Amino acid sequence: MKNIKIYLLSLVLIIVSFSCDDTLDINKDPLAATSADPNVVLPYVIVQYSARSVSELGTRITDVSQQMSANFNSPLNGNVSVFLTGNAWSMMYALALGNLKQVEEDARAAGATSNNVAAIAEILSAMVFYDITSIWENGPYTQALDGQNYPAPIFDNQETILRGVVAKLDDAMMLIDNIPTEGVFNVATGDMIYGGDMTMWRKFANSLKIRVLMMIRNRDTSVDSELVAALSQPVIDSNDETAMLIYSGQAGAQNAYHNIVTSFFGPDNQSQQVHGPSEVMYDLVTGNNDPRASLLFYDPNNGGGNEPGTFPDPNTAVYSNNIIRPDFPDVWFTPAEISFYRAELALKGVTTEDAQAMFDQGMSQVLSFYGQDIPCADGNVVDGPCLRLSTTEIDSYINSLGAVTENSIYEQQYLEALLRPVLAWNTVRRNAYPELPTPPASSITTYLKRFTYPPDEVSSNPNTPANEATDTPMWFEKQ
Amino acid sequence: MKKFLQLSFMLLFAFAFSESWAQERTVTGKVTSVDDGESLPGVNVVVKGTTTGTVTDFDGNYTISLPQQGGILIFSFIGLATQEVEIGSRSVIDVQMSADVKQLSEVVVTALGLEKEARTVGYGISQINSEELTTARESNIVNSLQGKITGVTIQNTGGNLGGSSKILIRGATSLSGNNNPLWIVDGVPINDEQTASGSRITGNRDFSNGASVINPDDVETINVLKGAAASALYGSRAAAGAIIVTTKKGKANSGKPRVTINSSVRIDDLFRIPDYQQQYAMGSQFNYDSSTVANDWGPRIVGQTVNYLPVTGETGPLRAVEDNGIRDFFETGVSLINNLSIADADERMDYRLSVSSLNQDGIVPNATLDRVTLGLNAGVKHSEKFKSRFGVQYIRTVSGGTAATGSNDPNIVSLGNSFSSNLDPNLYKQWIDASGNQINQLTPSTNNPYWLRNENKNDREDDRFLGNFELTYTPIPKLNIISRIGYDYDNDNRFFSNRVGTVQRLQGDYTVDKFKRTQLNTDLLANYSIDISEDLSLSVLSGFQYNRRIFEREGLFGNQLLVPELFDPGNVNQSVPNRDYTERILMGLYGQAELSYKRWLTLTVTGRNDWSSTLPLNNNSYFYPSVSSAFVFSEALNIANNVFSFGKLRASFAKVGNDTDPYQLDFRYFPVTTATAQYSLNLNFPFNGNLAFRKTNVIPNANLLPEEQTSYEFGTELSFFDGRVGLDVSYFKTKNVNQIINIPIPESTGSILRTANVGRVDTEGIEISLSATVLQTSNFSWNSLVNFSHSETKVVELSDGIERLQLASGFSSVQVVAEPGKEFQLFGVPYLRDSLTNRPLIDEGTGRRIAGEGRSFGSVLPDFTMGFVNNFTYKGLSLSFTLDWRSGGIMKSSTVENLQTGGLTAETVRNREGTFIDLEGVIANGDGTVRDNDVPLRDAQDFWTAMNDGTVAEPYIFDASFVKLREIGISYTLPSGLFTNSFINGVQVGVEGRNLALLYSKVPHIDPEANLFGSGVDGFGVERASVPSTRSVGFNVRLSF
Repeated sequence: MKNIKIYLLSLVLIIVSFSCDDTLDINKDPLAATSADPNVVLPYVIVQYSARSVSELGTRITDVSQQMSANFNSPLNGNVSVFLTGNAWSMMYALALGNLKQVEEDARAAGATSNNVAAIAEILSAMVFYDITSIWENGPYTQALDGQNYPAPIFDNQETILRGVVAKLDDAMMLIDNIPTEGVFNVATGDMIYGGDMTMWRKFANSLKIRVLMMIRNRDTSVDSELVAALSQPVIDSNDETAMLIYSGQAGAQNAYHNIVTSFFGPDNQSQQVHGPSEVMYDLVTGNNDPRASLLFYDPNNGGGNEPGTFPDPNTAVYSNNIIRPDFPDVWFTPAEISFYRAELALKGVTTEDAQAMFDQGMSQVLSFYGQDIPCADGNVVDGPCLRLSTTEIDSYINSLGAVTENSIYEQQYLEALLRPVLAWNTVRRNAYPELPTPPASSITTYLKRFTYPPDEVSSNPNTPANEATDTPMWFEKQ
Repeated sequence: MKKFLQLSFMLLFAFAFSESWAQERTVTGKVTSVDDGESLPGVNVVVKGTTTGTVTDFDGNYTISLPQQGGILIFSFIGLATQEVEIGSRSVIDVQMSADVKQLSEVVVTALGLEKEARTVGYGISQINSEELTTARESNIVNSLQGKITGVTIQNTGGNLGGSSKILIRGATSLSGNNNPLWIVDGVPINDEQTASGSRITGNRDFSNGASVINPDDVETINVLKGAAASALYGSRAAAGAIIVTTKKGKANSGKPRVTINSSVRIDDLFRIPDYQQQYAMGSQFNYDSSTVANDWGPRIVGQTVNYLPVTGETGPLRAVEDNGIRDFFETGVSLINNLSIADADERMDYRLSVSSLNQDGIVPNATLDRVTLGLNAGVKHSEKFKSRFGVQYIRTVSGGTAATGSNDPNIVSLGNSFSSNLDPNLYKQWIDASGNQINQLTPSTNNPYWLRNENKNDREDDRFLGNFELTYTPIPKLNIISRIGYDYDNDNRFFSNRVGTVQRLQGDYTVDKFKRTQLNTDLLANYSIDISEDLSLSVLSGFQYNRRIFEREGLFGNQLLVPELFDPGNVNQSVPNRDYTERILMGLYGQAELSYKRWLTLTVTGRNDWSSTLPLNNNSYFYPSVSSAFVFSEALNIANNVFSFGKLRASFAKVGNDTDPYQLDFRYFPVTTATAQYSLNLNFPFNGNLAFRKTNVIPNANLLPEEQTSYEFGTELSFFDGRVGLDVSYFKTKNVNQIINIPIPESTGSILRTANVGRVDTEGIEISLSATVLQTSNFSWNSLVNFSHSETKVVELSDGIERLQLASGFSSVQVVAEPGKEFQLFGVPYLRDSLTNRPLIDEGTGRRIAGEGRSFGSVLPDFTMGFVNNFTYKGLSLSFTLDWRSGGIMKSSTVENLQTGGLTAETVRNREGTFIDLEGVIANGDGTVRDNDVPLRDAQDFWTAMNDGTVAEPYIFDASFVKLREIGISYTLPSGLFTNSFINGVQVGVEGRNLALLYSKVPHIDPEANLFGSGVDGFGVERASVPSTRSVGFNVRLSF
């Protein structure tokens, strides 16, 4: 009986000892941090952005610009799947921009010594907003990323977003220009693009600005003076300055164009015929005897390009293993793009530069990028070494080309945007050249011009506008 | 209530009246309970009209000397119906006694395991007993509650072995997902959590909910506490009701141990199959093409010779396969359920040991589930003042081949995607060659389903331990001090693999997912009863509860195996570990006072204060009261008569608070190992040597308040004609405010969700249970029970500026949403319709319909459910059946979508070769008027595939109403005379069937109950690639010694 009393007494004691706040003060997640260094948040943004861009947009909409002939689950015929639009939207706003916003706010709060971090975050944000307006046209911009004040952000039109992106890039460049000489936050680890080199980020920002201004000038040439001014500022002007995310090619760091082949079909693209060039793409390259044909395509039977909406077969051309390889980088900006803009603006009389010289410079840059400078480890090309072009081959090809024309620039802009889903799509929509045939069995009258808004945004944001037909051109296209 | 109506009345009328009298003699016999056959000690046995009498002994036996021939014996015992039995010339009279219907003195188990007389209970409670659970045994006990009690909705996820089932009591009342009731076994809470592996998007593996381990053979009663007042003493965790399981205990059995063996064998087959067409072959636009499965828009099958026959690639004649071969592919499932129990008791101790096994083979090839349950339940009365008892249960579940559902998983084999009219499963029954390569793929990009089922693992091993220990100390009479400790330990190990060579996962991968969930619960409570006067009694109780729950999870994803089937992190190119941990503590102080006047008026008041670790420290305490009252007016007003036998009114009010999940208060950054990508082509960190952190996608709220639910309930229990007809009606209304919700916010805000106290949801409903002994003769009885439940959940308001709240996201543009003024809705994209005629508008250029703007289509929850239970007994033979009727609620079926867009089903054959005009549609003339559509589509294929344009959900949304023949059980108790000279005490044989027939449904091709969401989510109304549900027929033998 005595034991029972002791037992009961001890139970009461246990209870009394429970009854303090200490017992309840356990609500801290042991597997999370309450703050994070930009050196670990920026890698998340950069890699997550690339993962979704290549795997989703790359493998699903490169047939819209007809760089590839067909993609799986593509919106080619006019119907944009809710997953495609929802995944892309979510990645861009919530995962990329949401984190960049935090990084930027923290960096601004830390003062000028973190200007570099704030600038990187702002430049990356600008790049993502450029993607957003390229894909959906209208989207939250002025009220975006501020749930406290704008729980249901309004959708801004494309002009507002594009001009906002330019302002963002200007602001980022100003931040970079005002980085103090001492005590600067070291972002070398987290900056997976330039290793903390802010001179390069400034060039990248200015180059992006030019890309965006080129889009705006398609509708409003009043930005020409701004363009001219930007061109006088430093830009990405050599291949070693290319903005890109390098993939090691190891498991977990493989380019999705390749990974989709090895996960779903077999050892490599050449044997499995998954990714093939469209007729437009193939003919552009081979029609001019462009030496890139040997780098890009594998076509032992000379079957040529593939019809839109049709996957390659054993007799038609496919993208070569030299391109569809695990360590193919996610390219964001090459110097050739700027050179071709220079050529275009010169030809159109906006600048006084030599259009031909700029065109040739762009040709040289893009050919040497894919033929010499692009990161490529021999072991990563399945059936042999990385394919290269000699400088002689490059030079002789450039020399063989005729005088520069608008269309030849447009063609090269299209080729320069190789397998970059948003840029390639923008290029054909901006230039309306090369002309793309409407794919067979389309429910729309042209190739796809826009995505529909994702259902999650539609259901949670009453300010989401009604969807337009997916063949309705965007503002930036010539009307 | 229902318990009584299931009682056999035969004894009441079993004996013919006799008028003969003779000299003095002795009559002996045994009195047992009709419920369970256990002996009844202490029963008064009196010769009518005399003072001659005796009492049954401990084993229920009696001996009585009678002065003369004939006469009547009266058997009486408190709480049991008094019986008068004509003696006639017999010398042995055995009697079975049943509970007293008139007095309604049924005992129910209420909160904290307290037993109460039903008549004093002021809120809704339903009890079902062991026989009802084991008539047709279910492997998930939740399913066996279906249709048998009011106010309960059950939802399961199809024919997946070991799948989860969700139970809702009185509808969905919460936006925050707190709609699952609290499960209590022998006084201690157990977890009913469900943790899915994977996601519905990357392929869902639905593993059972925590309560499914409860073994129906070990259950004595289940009491379902429906309203907040009923469960108020359990506190916030029982806001959605509580299910109180009481396990069987040892009972005295004439000094011998009672041994019971109960064995069932059950056969499962497909419940419903799609109405596949066999006229047209694989292909498109009448061209034969075997490279895409489930796309039967090819040529008419007339025995023509084609190249590339499916699988073999040979040239040969096209032939249709009956039912697209699914009867060849799906197998006959077999379940063996065996239980052995030994029980005994005397005045001091009781003891029951039970061993059960469940061995199942599913209808999906290579799906197995084996479960062993060991249970021990014992109590000792150490002295008059001191008792102790304990119960332990160990349950081990091993399953293999659990099917994947949802999307994006190569292992999904579905009715809508994996079969075609001329694709014979016999062609691909060989799936692997001697070198381990996959052979006989359906197409170069489609796996051989047998390869998936046989080579890719979907395994689970679950060890569950439930223990409870209770001490009761009675220092003075009527004061009990009880301390109770319960522990629930769950160790769940899952393993999935894709063998090297699986299309979509060619390089092979494996996933290890291990988690541990524990719950420690202690109660210390004291209760004291006192009779204040002869008429007035008071009972008070107070107690303290401490509850701690920990969830730990670790896993590894290994990708790209070097050596096939060697699942070691060193054998993969990429290994991605993951980890999760949550801990929460809830402490509660509670009290109850109950005042009863003459047992016909009872007033109960309770209060409880909880402190939760998951709420802000300065807001973590919350108090809630309840009041309930029961008034037996038939007794108070003394109005009982031959027609009206019993009447009671009850009323209750309760307010309940609720906390939230752990770690909802801080802004967090999470270390990340995976950057997600399409087709699971994920990238991993460290990437190029870089680690990664990301911010939370949920904006936290440091100022959360507890949720608050207020509920009212009124009810009445009436019985007529000596209890032959009973009526139980409840009306309830609840109001849920300050709900803690992660509100989906526009992703354009940079986050995905925001935690807030918002919204108000009202639920109102009525439950009617009507029972009747329809027919009663000496040998035959027919008892019937109708349960009707209606509850209507209305979202009154959401947060400011929020017009719609997503509760669960389905696929293909459907979501379950809350919108003010409505029940939970299915939201999706409809066709654009002409406002005047409401007919779909047609695109003049294509002849196709046009997508409109997203809208709500209707409630995903039923308007009402009805169960109709019938029980016929004739001598030893008993037949029972249950019909289930669900009315209202809608669902979207992706299986139907795939079946129709693939041209797989009969309706797609209509006008397949003619000019196809969508006659339902209209064309806008441009001046506000419309005309009948006259633009032909390309063909029928164009019509059906354009229906599925990737956004429009409307054509696949159906009214989910159904009527099902849920259960039939026939049992026969062999006459005991057969075993008089053997050790066998009784033998019962039975035939049982479940899910036998779909009597009414508006959903084509599939079971209208199929559901994508497991029990862990508040998702209703969305089906996708579900495992077809099954129809079961079984045979059962029960032996007792």
